[in-house]
Amino acid sequence: MRVITAIIAIAVGIIILAGYFSPAFVDLQTLLLNWALILVGMAALVGVFNLIMVHADKISRREKGSIYSAFLIIFLVATLLFGMILGPGHSAMRLVLDGIIVPVEAALMGVLTVSLLYAAIRLLRRRADVMSIVFLVTAALIIFGSATLPFGDVPFIGTLIRPWITQVLALGGARGILIGVALGSLTTGLRVLFGADRPYGGQ
Amino acid sequence: MMPSPDLIFGLASFVFTLMIFSYVIGDNPLFRIAIYIFTGVTAGYIAAVVWWQVLLPRLIIPLISGPLEQKLLLVVPFIGALLILFKISPRLAGAGRLAMAFLVGAGAAVTIAGALGGTLIPQVMGTITVFDLDAASARNINILEVIGNGSIILAGTIFSLAYFHFGARPRPDGSMHRLGIIEIFSWIGRIFIGITLGVVFAGVYAAALTALIERMSSLIDFIGKFL
Repeated sequence: MRVITAIIAIAVGIIILAGYFSPAFVDLQTLLLNWALILVGMAALVGVFNLIMVHADKISRREKGSIYSAFLIIFLVATLLFGMILGPGHSAMRLVLDGIIVPVEAALMGVLTVSLLYAAIRLLRRRADVMSIVFLVTAALIIFGSATLPFGDVPFIGTLIRPWITQVLALGGARGILIGVALGSLTTGLRVLFGADRPYGGQ
Repeated sequence: MMPSPDLIFGLASFVFTLMIFSYVIGDNPLFRIAIYIFTGVTAGYIAAVVWWQVLLPRLIIPLISGPLEQKLLLVVPFIGALLILFKISPRLAGAGRLAMAFLVGAGAAVTIAGALGGTLIPQVMGTITVFDLDAASARNINILEVIGNGSIILAGTIFSLAYFHFGARPRPDGSMHRLGIIEIFSWIGRIFIGITLGVVFAGVYAAALTALIERMSSLIDFIGKFL
């Protein structure tokens, strides 16, 4: 089984990767990616089912906070049933989206305003080193420089400092971070294709 | 008379926004109820979207009413989907490894292609093209400014990358240390990373502030309907 899983992972990976570089493999690549999409969909359904089982287990064991799990299961099952019957494009489902999902997401984003401010103050109190000071001074300059005043941009900070920080200093740092992340992703992907890492359980 | 659906979901939106905002005074049962309901509704909605937009049109309907050639091609993902279903049972979860291996292989290939074509090459090219003097002179930008800014961007890129270099050598006393030059580069890289994260923080803060204003405005509008 270990050998078969490794062969499947490596073969699928190499064929899909070859499709990016050679037109001869494009059709096969598209077919395999379509299959992968179906499997991802099924994995998502299994994930949702697992979420129900975990919270049902919490309720059956009468764990602390199991009342919240009951809310989760009731709303999950109700949305799932209505969604399966009516389809996500139905007006009732659109109202679920506009009445619960979007407002809660926006409100959570709004609460982030307070959380971020609190985190920034705590950072300065707990770790007042060079990096923290550079981080907070930059954030303050950018926020202050982005403020729209009745007469236009804030002079000097809004017209000169802010664009220079975002387009030169931050760009350099961002490139370093992005290239670092890309190199890490590349290495991780190659380790899977060479069979050195087997996260599908083939060790 | 039945209230209109718009009113019901306007009320739901109002109540959920207040429940989430209650977090400002600390973690409390109202906030938790809202979060658990949100998680449940979102998971149910995602499952419905997956069913209607992925599994039904790409697997179920073609398997039932598609041409024979398409049916034969879909036998493999159908078996794979069944194997993934085995993951539900801890005793049979091992059978799902074959499908998971397929997914990991596909994911690795897409990750490599994305990292190379979507990030690595464009970012390296972007760092090179900031020194394009012809393009700068065509846009009437001072050459010294181009070279100065380009050098700072290049330095920022290299120093930030050095910060993520974790290769170390053992000292005679057994402790590990990085090369002196890497240590210096890494220290300067921290400054660039601090600036970058500061800019990102400011961007997220501005977005959060916009969302807060939108929610406050929606609360006021809803109350205004009844006054």
